[in-house]
Amino acid sequence: MAKKKSANSSSDSNRAKADPAKLSPQDKKTLGSLTGLADGVVDLAHKSRAPHMDVPSRSLSNARYNKTKRYIEMGNNTTRRELFNLSQAKSYMQTLLVSSGCKQLIEEGKTTSIRGLYYLLKHTIDGTKEETFNDQAESDPIIEDVEVLLNALREELHVYASNRGTMVGNIIINDSGDEIDCSRMGSGGYNIPSIVEPEVVQFVKCSAKFILHVEKDTVWRRFNEDKFWRKHNCILTHGGGQPPRGVRRLLHRLHNELGLPIYCVLDNDPWGYYIYSVIKQGSINLAFESKRMAIPEAKYLGLRSIDFERCNLSNSVQIRLNDNDRKRAKQIANYPWFKDKPKWQKEIKKLLDNDFKLEVEALINKGISFVTETYVPERLEEQDWLD
Amino acid sequence: MSNGSVDNVELVNDAPRNGSAPGPRRRATAESMAAQQREISVSEFFMKNRHLLGFDNPRKALLTTVKEAVDNSLDACEEAGILPEVWVHIEMVGENRFKVGVQDNGPGIVKKQIPSIFGKLLYGSKFHRLRMSRGQQGIGISAAGMYGLITTGKPVKIISKTSIRKPAHYFEIQIDPKKNKPEILNGKGEGVDIPPNEEGRKYIADHGIEWVEHYETPEGQKPEPLASGTRVTIELEAIYKRGRGSVDEYLEQTAIANPHVTLHYLDPDGEYRTYQRSSQNMPPEPKEIKPHPYGVELGRLVAMLKDADGATLSQFFTGSFSRVSPAVARKICETANLSVRTSAKKVGRGEADALYKAIQETKISAPTTDCISPIGEENLLKGLYNVVPGEFFCSATRPPAVYRGNPFQVEVALAYGGVSNVKKVTLEALREMLAESDARTLRQFIISSFDGLGADAADRILKAAEMPNRMSPAKLKKGAVEQLYHAMQHVNLSEGATMQVLRYANRVPLQFQPAACAITQAIMQTNWRSYGLSQSRGSLPNGPLTVMVHLASVWVPFTSESKEAIADYPEIAKELRLGLQTVGRKLGMFLRRRLKVKQEVERRAIFMRYLGEVAGAVSALNGSDRDKVYADLLRVAERKTKEADAKFDKHGRRVETPEEFGGNVLIVTHESPLPAGGAVAS
Repeated sequence: MAKKKSANSSSDSNRAKADPAKLSPQDKKTLGSLTGLADGVVDLAHKSRAPHMDVPSRSLSNARYNKTKRYIEMGNNTTRRELFNLSQAKSYMQTLLVSSGCKQLIEEGKTTSIRGLYYLLKHTIDGTKEETFNDQAESDPIIEDVEVLLNALREELHVYASNRGTMVGNIIINDSGDEIDCSRMGSGGYNIPSIVEPEVVQFVKCSAKFILHVEKDTVWRRFNEDKFWRKHNCILTHGGGQPPRGVRRLLHRLHNELGLPIYCVLDNDPWGYYIYSVIKQGSINLAFESKRMAIPEAKYLGLRSIDFERCNLSNSVQIRLNDNDRKRAKQIANYPWFKDKPKWQKEIKKLLDNDFKLEVEALINKGISFVTETYVPERLEEQDWLD
Repeated sequence: MSNGSVDNVELVNDAPRNGSAPGPRRRATAESMAAQQREISVSEFFMKNRHLLGFDNPRKALLTTVKEAVDNSLDACEEAGILPEVWVHIEMVGENRFKVGVQDNGPGIVKKQIPSIFGKLLYGSKFHRLRMSRGQQGIGISAAGMYGLITTGKPVKIISKTSIRKPAHYFEIQIDPKKNKPEILNGKGEGVDIPPNEEGRKYIADHGIEWVEHYETPEGQKPEPLASGTRVTIELEAIYKRGRGSVDEYLEQTAIANPHVTLHYLDPDGEYRTYQRSSQNMPPEPKEIKPHPYGVELGRLVAMLKDADGATLSQFFTGSFSRVSPAVARKICETANLSVRTSAKKVGRGEADALYKAIQETKISAPTTDCISPIGEENLLKGLYNVVPGEFFCSATRPPAVYRGNPFQVEVALAYGGVSNVKKVTLEALREMLAESDARTLRQFIISSFDGLGADAADRILKAAEMPNRMSPAKLKKGAVEQLYHAMQHVNLSEGATMQVLRYANRVPLQFQPAACAITQAIMQTNWRSYGLSQSRGSLPNGPLTVMVHLASVWVPFTSESKEAIADYPEIAKELRLGLQTVGRKLGMFLRRRLKVKQEVERRAIFMRYLGEVAGAVSALNGSDRDKVYADLLRVAERKTKEADAKFDKHGRRVETPEEFGGNVLIVTHESPLPAGGAVAS
């Protein structure tokens, strides 16, 4: 899940109504469903009935793999949340609080981080010592609940996650009115924002032929320093481990709107497999957003469990698998989207047989720029990847 | 059981065999040994074995003395049908020397009997009859006098008065241990009569004895004089210490089990306390019964047959036993192959054996049970309520049952909640207790001084007081005592507390040897977990509760002469278990309901807490009137908790009615510390 504390505790947390901002049609639609939520409560209370809401459940049991669309979809199961139920009363209250907070943001035409929203809504309940939210871990899942409840995306609620992930390459985009040439970003690269919807980010011109997504910043720097993207005419991105929504959404748009294939260079461990799985099929928690994020055509370029022998690496770069890794690898091998793929089964089996994992950085063992000059070009040349 | 029958005490050594086989050199001859063989008097026997009677240590000696005297007084009063009022004065007359005076308002004792009652072991009215009474053997008070004589050389002083106009008899008696006979020291061996006038009063004062002449009456009223009564004064070597196993505890527990008794107690520190009676009704008089055939052993049967003066077997059986009709007698004789007309005296050993076996084979109805007078469920509640603090009280009296032909009855009462003894103690009292204590460590001191406190609770107190466990009580500084006192007042002990057990036999508290007693065994074997208490396997349950168990019987099977523990007969164990289960079930109901109330209160509080927030958010979302939404939601909340609502009073506590528990339950609420019996439903 993409969440990190970018402390954007903007001072707009006072509840005084600011000048109503100009509302987009999307904002009006969102406001409509927020009001509808409240109307339901008033209606039931007026009829002396206990108010409740049916929240689509974001659990493994309610996520299923759609074989034709090739991504994870959310099922129809809902969980009833009641005000007059001991274990649900507080989260019911919190859900309504989050909704009212979002309404305030939309009306004022502002956005805030999930941490900002947490501070906006956190206060002591009248006449008690209890806080509405004890910590951010309490408010974050509620925000996701509101998203699925209203069938509105986080961006539509004017809430964003923290920025994480960087892009560089032969593409010119327009971000909130500023034209940005991603081939002229120096060593830092373009910071991918959390909200990359067409209203915010438009693609102006793109000459790149594919996207190379790497796992993390350190690897990305190697590629950027070696100007890999210039040599191979591509876009280079990283997501800082598990890519946040913004990165996934941008990859999805680049892939679908510009028709760019995506190749991933990730660590050879269960975590790396999982990152690939999320990019490709979507995650269970955000199953409701899969159709806007999942890229079933994404390819897994490396590292492979055969690379230790193939690249003739030194023993010292091995990292032992722990029990957790082994368990996780077996789980991943059983995912429906890996299950019927002999190549993947072979890959994971080999990892378990090796009983060690390899980081992308391990390739430095063969030379500082081995990964950019030899490893990745060779794989692309040979079209040697996992799908 | 060796009920101290005189025959048993003739201890004669077997002479060693002097066979003809050559062996080691003879050390003594039968003749030389015969010179040393002589009768042992009962008194001598008990002088050497005083622990058998409860005089093992100086502290217990004081308790036993008070106890024997008080028990005798209560028995006498009840037999005479007088509401008992007992004065206990303990005075310190020197280092480790105390003068114990116990006076009652009983019928008094006729002059001729006084010396024997107080100066002869195994003399009394209670041994030979089957009737429920506190005393049994006729050893106690004479033994106390003997103990006093041994340790201080002072005689027992007795004043007894049988009528308001007649003179009081005054005796100074000492027991002659060799002859087991009283020696009267005053009035040239005849005792002295004290006239009921000023001169008499002076005489009493001169001889270092006191005599309470009037009942205590509220000020302004004419004092009512004592018409009759007996006072016994014994001086003895002893140690006075408060806490578990003390005189104070005995008197307090006596007050619980005897709500018809008023006790006045002046302790050695000069503190005066009165346990006022809470019931004006005398317990019904227990009837005397004849022995039941099932309860008679072969030896006793033989002795009884010998005593039967020329009666036929039929007459013997119907006359000497209860529940034996001529038809039953015939059946017994037929089974034993004897004629009903055989003379009882002529029955030989073998025939007696046959008779004994025949009795066991014949079906004889259980003995009548009106010989037992239980305390009664209501009085149990009153007694417990008056002395033990608590929120919930209940009691149960089992129907009478029989063991070995002896009728008995079990009663159980239970108090839950309330403050522990630890919290009742004052700073001054704590200082004194610390000074008196001979415990080696503070932890030991706490555990042994306060009932119902386990090691766990002691540890917690000491932790709160920030004192090491092993610290010696004597080394505490002045400030440290206050620190300890403070900790004792503020540590929450209800979780760590273990059940306090009050054991009674025929209304007499049993203070020692809890582990050996059938009552403790029964409590430990009962599964209290199913009644909502925590309990580790094979131990007493935990929680702030007191259980009182009373066994009433014409013959209480004690494990020893000092009457400290009840023997574990299966019939008794069964009745104990059933009684405990009855009160346990009621407690379980109470605890479960209380838990439910707590949950309901919490439930409601949680709903109420969030309603305001919900209404505020809804109003912000769709612009509806916040107050109206709140009112609507509140109405729903009230409807949702409507069922609970009906059972809450204004404090959010559920109103409970004792009737729901099936009677004999007392529930005390904080608002109304009701007088005893106020909410007793019977």
